[in-house]
Amino acid sequence: MQENQEAAVNPLERQLEMSVVLADIEQDVQQRLSRLARQVKMPGFRPGKVPLKLVAQQYGVQVRSEALGEAVQRAFGQAVVEQKLRIAGTPRIEPRQSEDSSRLEFRAVFEVYPEVQIGDLSTSPIERPVYELADADVDKTIDVLRKQRTTYEAADRAAAEGDRIQINFVGRRDGEPFPGGSGNDYPVTIGAKAMLPDFEAALTGMSAGETKTFDLTFPADYHSQDLAGQQVSFEVSVLAVEAAKLPELDADFARALGIADGDLAKLREEVKTNLGREIKKRVQARVKQQAMDALLAVTPLTVPKSLVEEESKLLADNMRKDMQGRGMDMDKLPIEPAWFGEAALRRVKLGLIIAEVLKNNQDLHAQPEQIRALVQEQAQSFEQPEELVRWYYAERQRLGPIEAVVLEDNVVEWVTRHAQTVDKAIGFDELMANAA
Amino acid sequence: MSTNVQRLYQVLLAPQISEKATFLGDKFNQVVFRVAADATKPEIKAAVELLFSTPDRKIEVVGVQVANVRGKTKRFGRVQGTRKGWKKAFVRLAADQEISFAEGVEL
Repeated sequence: MQENQEAAVNPLERQLEMSVVLADIEQDVQQRLSRLARQVKMPGFRPGKVPLKLVAQQYGVQVRSEALGEAVQRAFGQAVVEQKLRIAGTPRIEPRQSEDSSRLEFRAVFEVYPEVQIGDLSTSPIERPVYELADADVDKTIDVLRKQRTTYEAADRAAAEGDRIQINFVGRRDGEPFPGGSGNDYPVTIGAKAMLPDFEAALTGMSAGETKTFDLTFPADYHSQDLAGQQVSFEVSVLAVEAAKLPELDADFARALGIADGDLAKLREEVKTNLGREIKKRVQARVKQQAMDALLAVTPLTVPKSLVEEESKLLADNMRKDMQGRGMDMDKLPIEPAWFGEAALRRVKLGLIIAEVLKNNQDLHAQPEQIRALVQEQAQSFEQPEELVRWYYAERQRLGPIEAVVLEDNVVEWVTRHAQTVDKAIGFDELMANAA
Repeated sequence: MSTNVQRLYQVLLAPQISEKATFLGDKFNQVVFRVAADATKPEIKAAVELLFSTPDRKIEVVGVQVANVRGKTKRFGRVQGTRKGWKKAFVRLAADQEISFAEGVEL
């Protein structure tokens, strides 16, 4: 078998020209057929007694293409081993016109893995957010928890900020009700900004049983194109006004949140550890994001297209499964792998870079004690930590994802050691604001 | 002997491919057909020569033997029934000739 290699336009694309001897294939076909003849069933013949000629008639084409495919694969595999190529993705195999009728010539087009050269990280800035948890934050969080459990009680007074009112409303444009502009027994919380500010403002001050008609102009940037900038009139009747009531910060509240003995100090303690964990997680997420960005920035890399395509397909598949799992009809919502091109490119690049980093730094591989530490840490937020730890260790593959996380952390840690890492104080709200 | 070509096209129904037919083909250069129940030996001979001759090679039938195959009796529950009988023709070709049923068939 011969091959010669050509450089192509795509720097990672390679072409291998090869040929296989047809006589070899014919021989292989004959062998396959006689093997097949021993088990072929055909009406009119006892099993295995079908003449070879008939078997060849029936299965010849199929067997031939099988033999051909295997010969091509073998030739290709051999060439790859000989030339020490690292193939990325699936090779494309094309037949080629041949002058020699005793040989089948073909060309394999494929991409190879790029050489990864990790760049110099020493100038890449990484900001490590620093935040000390304060008592005020705990208070704030408890306040939020209380607000989530707000109850409403009927109040015999005019609606004010923070109240919830039940209304019937009809919206008319040019005297005609418009779609989506009406509702019955509709709860509106004033100040929640779920409705248009003007709408809420008009409701403020109304009492149960009152009816009011008012004009309202939809803002020009309203999400419904149809209504944006339109002037409409609403007729609203208030059925009930309900005053918000925050739950008292007492033993009942604590019990509702899962503190069995209703001890408030314990609740604070619980909230504090949870917050601490959350902050740690977010800090880590931010550092990781920056570390990965830094790696990407310093490492110029041409990525095999086929890998990106495969990754996009994978992402699209996951998305599709996810959506299906939530009961959506996939026929109506086609998901194109092309949408994930960017994300896939990033993932493939990072995968290659991290593999290279690991190759150069064997000590970054996940150590068993690191894995155990992480499992134990994760178990902390469960009611029976030991149970979970045992579950994880019961089967080797359950530790897989944990190992990946440890590995990532190690790489991130390695990057921060090599990059310009500065600590930077950060506000509580800023840290909690955007989910990283 | 009939010279009606239309009739000849209706004589041969299908080749009978089986272990026995292969054996006869190998040993006596005979080809086995299912034929119309009312076909005569001369008709069968003419039909084979007409249908399987190619422009560059005329098929020559040396002899025809026929057998009437009785339909099997089959029972479906309490109902006794009989399958249709059919006529089987053993057509002997000249020594150097053969018929390939799969010729020109693209799989």
